[in-house]
Amino acid sequence: MHRLADPQQALSEPARALPGAAAQVGFGLRVPHYDTILKHGLRADFAEAISENFMGRGGRAFDVLERVRADAPIALHGVSLSIGGVDPLSKTYLSELGELARRISAFSVSDHLCFGTFGGHYAHDLWPLPYTEEALAHVVSRVQQVQERLGRRLLLENVSSYVAYRASLLTEWEFLSELVTRADAGLLLDLNNIFVSAANHGFSAEEYLRALPRDRVQQIHLAGHTDTGSYLFDDHGSAVSAAVWSLYQRSLELFGAVPTIIEWDERLPELTELEAEAAHARTLSHAWLAEQREGKP
Amino acid sequence: MTLAELQQYFARAATSGSGPLADLDRVFLGTSRLPASDRMAIYNRGYYLRLLDALGSVFCQTQRALGSPDFERLGLAYLAQHPSEHPAVERVGRSFSEFLRSAAAPPVVDLAALEWARLSALVAANPKSVATIETIDPQRFPEAQLRFVPSLQCLELDPRALALFAEGNPSIVDVGRPRCGVAVWRARHAVEHRSLEAEEWQALNLAIAGNKLSEVCSAFDSGSGDADVRRAFQVLSGWFARNWLELVVYEQTRSASK
Repeated sequence: MHRLADPQQALSEPARALPGAAAQVGFGLRVPHYDTILKHGLRADFAEAISENFMGRGGRAFDVLERVRADAPIALHGVSLSIGGVDPLSKTYLSELGELARRISAFSVSDHLCFGTFGGHYAHDLWPLPYTEEALAHVVSRVQQVQERLGRRLLLENVSSYVAYRASLLTEWEFLSELVTRADAGLLLDLNNIFVSAANHGFSAEEYLRALPRDRVQQIHLAGHTDTGSYLFDDHGSAVSAAVWSLYQRSLELFGAVPTIIEWDERLPELTELEAEAAHARTLSHAWLAEQREGKP
Repeated sequence: MTLAELQQYFARAATSGSGPLADLDRVFLGTSRLPASDRMAIYNRGYYLRLLDALGSVFCQTQRALGSPDFERLGLAYLAQHPSEHPAVERVGRSFSEFLRSAAAPPVVDLAALEWARLSALVAANPKSVATIETIDPQRFPEAQLRFVPSLQCLELDPRALALFAEGNPSIVDVGRPRCGVAVWRARHAVEHRSLEAEEWQALNLAIAGNKLSEVCSAFDSGSGDADVRRAFQVLSGWFARNWLELVVYEQTRSASK
C-alpha cells in the first residue's frame, strides 16, 4: 500500500500517477461492506463512491463516506449525468455534485460516455451514443459546461455496449479520443468494458488501447463479466477475468501506473476478495515497474 | 436521423413494454449470431429489471403483502406509466402507493406509503442542528415556533398498514378503526416510525405548519387544567427527546436559538 500522508495531495489533479511508483489501487464503496470498513479501516489506497448515492443526502451513507474520507482520498463516480443526452443538463444535479465534491475534497469526478435520460426521465442505464460528428460536438460542449460548472476536469468512462448504430461514422476509440482532446477532459478507461464491447461488436481491444491519447488516461476500472454464450454481459458480478488482467498489463505498458479501481456490484463477495483483486493489480503494477527499472522494453 | 431522433428511438426501443420495434435493423447493426432485436432486448430487459429491483428494495413489505407475482405485475405496470424522474434509482417509487389505490387493498396502499416515507426519512439531509428542550426560553414559550429536522415525515394511515409492516396479521386490527397519524423519522442512522394519539397528531401538524407553541398547545386543551399542561409538556419533551427538532425560533425578534 502506498498511502500518502495527506489524502488531498495523494491523487490530486492533474497528476495521474506518481513517477516511479506503482499504481494506487482502490475499490468501490458498497453498502454491505460498510461495517467491515468501519471496523478495520479502508485497506486500499483510495475508495470510489457512486456520486448519486451521496448527493444531497444525509444519514449513515454520508457518515460512512466522511469517515472513509478521513483516512483515504475519494474518487466520485457518477451514473446519471447523461453527458451525451439531449435533455438539458440538470442544474440541481450539477449543484449537488459540486457540493459533494467540495465537501469530501474528491480527488476526481467521473461519469460515463453515454446517455441515460429521455424526455425528462432517467433510464438508470448507460445507453450508447451514435459516434457521429453531431454527437461529438454535442458532448464536447456539454463536457465543457460541466467542467466550467464544477471548476474541475471531468473524467469520462467508456461504457460496455451490446448494440451499435448504423449512423456511426467514427469508431468508439476515435470518438473518445477526439472528445477528451477537444473538451480537455480525462479518460477513465474501463478495461472490462473494452473487452466486453470488443467481443460483442467484433473489434480489437488492442487497437482500441493503442489509439487512445496516453496523457488523457487518468484512471482504470477493472471488473468481471459473464459470458452468456451469445454475448458478454458486463454485470460486475465476478472476479476480473484473465483476459482483462492481460489488458491491464498492456495498459501499464501504454499508459503507466494510473490509479486503478476494482468494481464489483452483483453477487458481492466478502471485502477480502476485493482486497485480493486490488492486491493482484498492485502486484502487476510492481512487476511492470521493476521491468522498467531493469530497462526491459 | 439526428442525434435527438436517434436517442428518442433508442429510448422507445429500450423502454417498450410491448416487444421489439419493427424496424430495429434500420437503425442498429446486428449479426447473424446476435441480431439487432436480441441486442436491444438486453437493454429492454435491463431497464425494467433494474427499476423493478429498485422498487422491490424500497417496498419490501409491500412486496411480501402482495406476493411476488402480483408485485411484479403491478410494478411493471407502474413503471410503464411512471418512469424515473430522479437521478437516484430508488426514487422511482415516488407515486407507487398512489398507483396501488386502484389495484390493492387499502392497508397495502398505506403500507406502500409508509415504506416510501421511511425511504424519504432514510435519505433526508442531515439537520443543520438538533435542538434540545432547554433551548426554549421559558419567558417566551408562547411565541416560540418549532422547525423540524428534514427527515421527519407525517402521514395518515390505515392502522392495519402498521400491522402489515410489522409482519403481523392485519386482521387483528379492527377494520372500523379510524386512520391514525404516523410520524416517520431517522434517529441518527436508523429509521423509526410511531403512531400518534389524536391530540399529539393535531399538535404536531399545528407545529409543522409554523404555529406558535401557544396555539400548538391548544390541541391538548380538554378543560382539565394542570393535566392538560402536563400532557402537553410530556408530548413536547418527547419530540425533543426523539431529535425531531432542528431549531426553536421566535417570530417577533427573528432571532434563533439552538
